[in-house]
Amino acid sequence: MTNDMSQGPSMRPSRHGGGQLSYEQATAAAQLSQSLPVLDVDDLPQQHNIPVITFDHVTKVYPAAPNKPALSDISVEIYGGEFVFLVGHSGSGKSTFIRMLIREVKPTSGHLYVADEDLTTMRNWRVPYLRRNIGCVFQDFKLLPNKTVFENVAFALEVIGKSRHVIKTQVPEVLRLVGLQDKLNKLPDQLSGGEQQRVSIARAIVNRPPLLVCDEPTGNLDPQTSRGIMDLLERINATGTTVLVATHDREMVDSMRRRVLALDRGTLTRDQNRGVYGFDA
Amino acid sequence: MRSIVYFFRESLRGFTRNLSTALGSIVTIFLSLLIIGIFLIGGLVVDNVVSGVEDEVSITAFVADDASDSDIQSLSRYIEGLEGVASVGFTTKEEALENFRQTSNSDIVDTLDGQNPLPASIEVELSDPQLVEQVAQQILDNATFQTICDNPEDPAESLKYGQQTVERLFVLTNYVRYIGIALIVLLIFIALVFINNTIRLAILARRKEIAIMRLVGASNGFIRGPFLMEGALHAVIGALLAIGILELLRYLVLPKVQSALMFLNFNVSNESFLLIYLTLAVSGLIIGLIGSAFAMRRYLKV
Repeated sequence: MTNDMSQGPSMRPSRHGGGQLSYEQATAAAQLSQSLPVLDVDDLPQQHNIPVITFDHVTKVYPAAPNKPALSDISVEIYGGEFVFLVGHSGSGKSTFIRMLIREVKPTSGHLYVADEDLTTMRNWRVPYLRRNIGCVFQDFKLLPNKTVFENVAFALEVIGKSRHVIKTQVPEVLRLVGLQDKLNKLPDQLSGGEQQRVSIARAIVNRPPLLVCDEPTGNLDPQTSRGIMDLLERINATGTTVLVATHDREMVDSMRRRVLALDRGTLTRDQNRGVYGFDA
Repeated sequence: MRSIVYFFRESLRGFTRNLSTALGSIVTIFLSLLIIGIFLIGGLVVDNVVSGVEDEVSITAFVADDASDSDIQSLSRYIEGLEGVASVGFTTKEEALENFRQTSNSDIVDTLDGQNPLPASIEVELSDPQLVEQVAQQILDNATFQTICDNPEDPAESLKYGQQTVERLFVLTNYVRYIGIALIVLLIFIALVFINNTIRLAILARRKEIAIMRLVGASNGFIRGPFLMEGALHAVIGALLAIGILELLRYLVLPKVQSALMFLNFNVSNESFLLIYLTLAVSGLIIGLIGSAFAMRRYLKV
């Protein structure tokens, strides 16, 4: 296949992730490539080798700091079903890395592919459809304070035009998954920080995106609560979703032993399977 | 379809959220459209009056009281033969007085104590108003007219025709038209600025929501929808108010003006009014949409 549909298999949940393939996951994965012919998963023995995210010599220079690139010459591949930590000090380029994935910023040079689609040449009107396939979680939760937990999660489905029926079935389901089935009608400020982050995770995955990107998801939380959030992210990863977590939570990275990408002043200094945080305190 | 309902619900919510600015833009649109409407109707009325006057371009040749019937008749026959003349009539002194009594204050007539200062006249209706100058000159050159005219020292004084009035009216209406167009452009600009401002405030109040909408992949059209709808809603309400007031003016004020200025024709057809109202509604809608689209532009960069 030569067209842009060819990324389909790469978004399939990895069997290495250990989870069983459900029909929904397969559909969610297929969404990224938009209605391509469904291939039999068993015919795809080497799906792990097809990257979901490819950075190809990506450099980003902000106009405000022309001599100090936020990212310089990054080349890395992230595969379907992986759980990846992105570590580095403040200002090392983690956020730029994440913002580039959802095409909030464009690379200055190089190419960036998400599911084989080149974000550097992507048309603006396509961007919303890209974002529907990438769940996003941020340090500051980004919840709407005047909407209840249910409404906050439902909002994500509402604004991409999902039917009331889909909302009514999918939202309680995802809230059960994050353990908030009893707090549907609470407002965000009636919840603890950890619970609020769970709501924002629920919102990020309610549309069943094949890729979940988290920017400092535990930055505002205590270690105990952070552990809970990480468990949740691991469970989501186990269903086949590719998870990328930017963090500087040393303990977490060291205890989980997942693939680690380390950024230092804009350059990729380390790419390590079952890695550790590694920077000196 | 569902999203249309959503847009509508959200735009109504925007109303209550920002009542004062919403009212501000509605009132601005309303006043602008009202003034535009008044100018359009005024223009129509003036056009009507002008064409009425033009239709009525006629030549009146005043005849001396002692003119003989045969002279009058030969002059009438001569005028009838001229190019561009439709008909020739004769108004006696008594008829002239009666006409005067009807179109003016009858008290003045009563103070005349039975005397009649008005001259008899030959009325010339023209088939082609453009030829009025030529016909008038030919009458003036006629020897019979020069002897029997009301004022033999200056025959031109006894010949009245409406050309000057028409020309002056045209100059006036042109001025009114230019001022009207300038004013309309200015008003549309002001209305645009106001709508733009209102929608910008509405966007500012919801920028967190917009950020999340963009994050979860709402299409730009979907994000824009409620704001465009809100702008359009303000405009339509403003337009309806303007149309309502104009309709009120039409039924309450116009008849009064008409009765005060009886000699002018103020009758504007229903179709013209309908057309004006339609123009107002559509231009209001366009102002609303453009104003809010403009406000959205910088907030929707991907």
